[in-house]
Amino acid sequence: MSATAGSHSLAFRVMRLCRPSFHVENPLQLDPLDLLTGEDIFDDPSAASHLPRLFSRSKASTNKSGEADLTYRNRFELQNPTDAMGIPGFLVLPQSFGRAIYLGETFCSYISINNSSNFEVKDVMIKAEIQTERQRILLLDTSKSPVESIRSGGRYDFIVEHDVKELGAHTLVCTALYNDNDGERKYLPQFFKFIVANPLSVRTKVRTVKDNTFLEACIENHTKSNLYMDQVDFEPAQNWSTTILKADEHYSEINCQTREIFKPPILIRSGGGIYNYLYQLRMSSHGSEQVKVEGSNILGKFQITWRANLGEPGRLQTQHILGSPISHKEIELQLVEVPSKTISGMPFLIHLKLINQTDKEMGPFEVWMSGGNSHEKSITVNGLQKLVLPKVEASGSTDFNLNLIATRLGVQKITGITVFDVRDKKTYDPLPDLEGLWGYYPGDPLENRFLLVAGRNAPCSDNASSTLFASGSFIDHKIRWDLTCRTIPALWQFTAFISYVVNLGHRVVLDFGLHFPTVRRAQSSCSGNT
Amino acid sequence: MDVEQNDGQTLTSDLQALSVSDPLSNQFSSLNDLCYEASSLQELASRGSWRSILDKVVRARKLSLLQKPHEHLIYLCYNVLALTKLRKYGEASEELDSLEDFDSARYKYETHPEHYPNRSGSMVPFALRWIHAEIPQRLGKRQETLDRLYSLLDFVRTKLKEKESKNMNFCVDRWKKREAFLISSISSHHLSHKEFSVCLALLRQLLNSDPSNPILLSKLGYIQMQLGDLEGSKALFNRVETLMTEGNPGALLDEVQFKNLVNRNKALIYLVGKDYVSAVREYEECIERDPTDVVAINNKALCLMYLRDLSDSIKVLENALERIPTVALNETIVVNLCSMYELAYVNHSDIKRTLSNWIARVAPDDFDSSCTRI
Repeated sequence: MSATAGSHSLAFRVMRLCRPSFHVENPLQLDPLDLLTGEDIFDDPSAASHLPRLFSRSKASTNKSGEADLTYRNRFELQNPTDAMGIPGFLVLPQSFGRAIYLGETFCSYISINNSSNFEVKDVMIKAEIQTERQRILLLDTSKSPVESIRSGGRYDFIVEHDVKELGAHTLVCTALYNDNDGERKYLPQFFKFIVANPLSVRTKVRTVKDNTFLEACIENHTKSNLYMDQVDFEPAQNWSTTILKADEHYSEINCQTREIFKPPILIRSGGGIYNYLYQLRMSSHGSEQVKVEGSNILGKFQITWRANLGEPGRLQTQHILGSPISHKEIELQLVEVPSKTISGMPFLIHLKLINQTDKEMGPFEVWMSGGNSHEKSITVNGLQKLVLPKVEASGSTDFNLNLIATRLGVQKITGITVFDVRDKKTYDPLPDLEGLWGYYPGDPLENRFLLVAGRNAPCSDNASSTLFASGSFIDHKIRWDLTCRTIPALWQFTAFISYVVNLGHRVVLDFGLHFPTVRRAQSSCSGNT
Repeated sequence: MDVEQNDGQTLTSDLQALSVSDPLSNQFSSLNDLCYEASSLQELASRGSWRSILDKVVRARKLSLLQKPHEHLIYLCYNVLALTKLRKYGEASEELDSLEDFDSARYKYETHPEHYPNRSGSMVPFALRWIHAEIPQRLGKRQETLDRLYSLLDFVRTKLKEKESKNMNFCVDRWKKREAFLISSISSHHLSHKEFSVCLALLRQLLNSDPSNPILLSKLGYIQMQLGDLEGSKALFNRVETLMTEGNPGALLDEVQFKNLVNRNKALIYLVGKDYVSAVREYEECIERDPTDVVAINNKALCLMYLRDLSDSIKVLENALERIPTVALNETIVVNLCSMYELAYVNHSDIKRTLSNWIARVAPDDFDSSCTRI
């Protein structure tokens, strides 16, 4: 057996056989009428009646199918205005072997072994394998039934496929073992290289608001082509159920005639384009049966299917997405009711519930608001600064009210509610900040008209109000929302929670967890417009 | 019938004589009435003899054969078109630079009452405006082309409103065609840069005003298929098929063309589902019905490749080139055939050279022979 370089009768030829593409061009085709007459000629009624006939006569017997036109008329004359689109329907074969291939796609190749010598070769054993850093995968092997012979000028073809599951350098190794004309057994190896890259990255953020867990996923496209998102499914873990939250359709799309046959696709732009998805997760088991396991908390994972040209599919799964770790708490403080708005300087009640999550009686308790002196705080207790609560039995709860007063305007936090167990002499850390409130100038008309549009830059509808809150303070006193522009500025692009086109009279839930960590939740309603 | 002659001046009250002196009034019986030797220009353009057109223009200018201002414009237009077809974009651009602004008085009929006694309006061929917009992109200035095309679209829409308000129906029809042509042209630029979302948004406008156009629906289907939205393309193709069974709307396609369109669309659906055998079957039905359906021929050849039948795929394309060269000879088919040659033959340069020589003998002047990759 010799592995002579050079003098081989056989040679491998390969072609990447991913899906073809439509041929697209910028055609130079014109309507002869637009070439041979002035553009305003049809203003003249006699021209209008004579010209079309003149031109259709001069077209001879073209447009008729079946009769071969012996001119190259079709390269010059426009048959229909839409021909200018330059997508006549021709498909083109993939043009190079080395076109980028991505993890999750399928590598497909046409392999042809040619006999370019003048003599027949016999007993050809062909093998095709993929070699990566970690492994060698067999795609084809004819050693059990070798090809008896390949005549001079003849060919043996096959097509191989392989689902790409590794990153980095890959080599398609084609080998042939054959008897040449002299009876010598020859060995021909050929190598074709390609690189597998990462097509997408998925960034997730988990946020918990009361009983709801929100999962935000941002998919970024690293490939060189636009990716059509065929399916992006979040598969929740065992005790979770999931709903996808989507933006309402923009009014212009609802009114569109062609809506039924033509829905805009979810397409992520090549080279860094992103798209956001939002899911709401709920624990499948409710109430006191909730099993809270120490440590991390698996929410589920994503299954993503995308398509490139002519539906070339790719599939990926993410790793497990984790929620925030659950720590076992002895007591929990829940906010049962809070007024959605209040007037600065006027007292209001919030209704709270203290839950004993242990299996023995706890309490009595003292409750106060801690942190800073009352000059700094925007919300303070009205009246007695310390409230006493009776004992609470195991797994029981007690309801109570706090009488509060707001000293400042805008969205405010209720912070620093501290619970102290008198018997065990244990202070529970100030429990998480509770909902903020809107505040108004006394006597101001309710001017909450505003519009929020889905996370991507979509235009506001025309009757949008411009400025949110003409005066007063805003979240954290840092951000002013000035929605005078027609498109929501980039600020919102990353807050995938905002997904409602709010028209008059709608309620909106805004969650600002991403950019405004000091406020958990705020509610407002749109009032009548003038 | 009396013609009075007075000291060399020819005065006449003869109506027929009067109308002859205005070349555009009532004389639309032949192309040459529109412009000096227009039928010859058309003939040369149809044969793809763009170099001959250049010669003709040079000659006409040198020998001052063009009498009327509008003829100069038309010849200039053909000249620029020919230069662009021959990929001489620099020269085409220079030729266009010699023009004044399209809206200038110089190009209005009423400015030349001696030539056009009863006529008013712009004598600029619409094609000239369009070519003027297209040239920068071919010189690498894509943004300039897009700007010009969008401005031209505004211009067309303004004209359309004007004609509609005056109830000039023939005009409206023509300007509507120009609007559709421009929107399609702009889309092609976005498409070739893979700006699919913009492209689809534009074409949606077109579809809203012409929702039963089977050609438009099919092309939208191709675009959706190209970007990967297979369900979307299926829906569009179904609509086309429904239109066919309902009866032929408009005069866009004859029966054979319509049936073939539906078959080709079906074939594409099979193709993306990797059922190449069924796709081939659909294409064969098309070819049987219309042996000059080159899209079906080309795509059938590709399907044969995906069925591992390289030899037959080559035969299908070679056969078409031999049998119907003027229809089949286009750069896409040649690119595909050469890809197949490169796969099939170790020494493919020989066979490609044979092909290339044949092309040189048969092809029109504007054929881009770089597609053979020799």
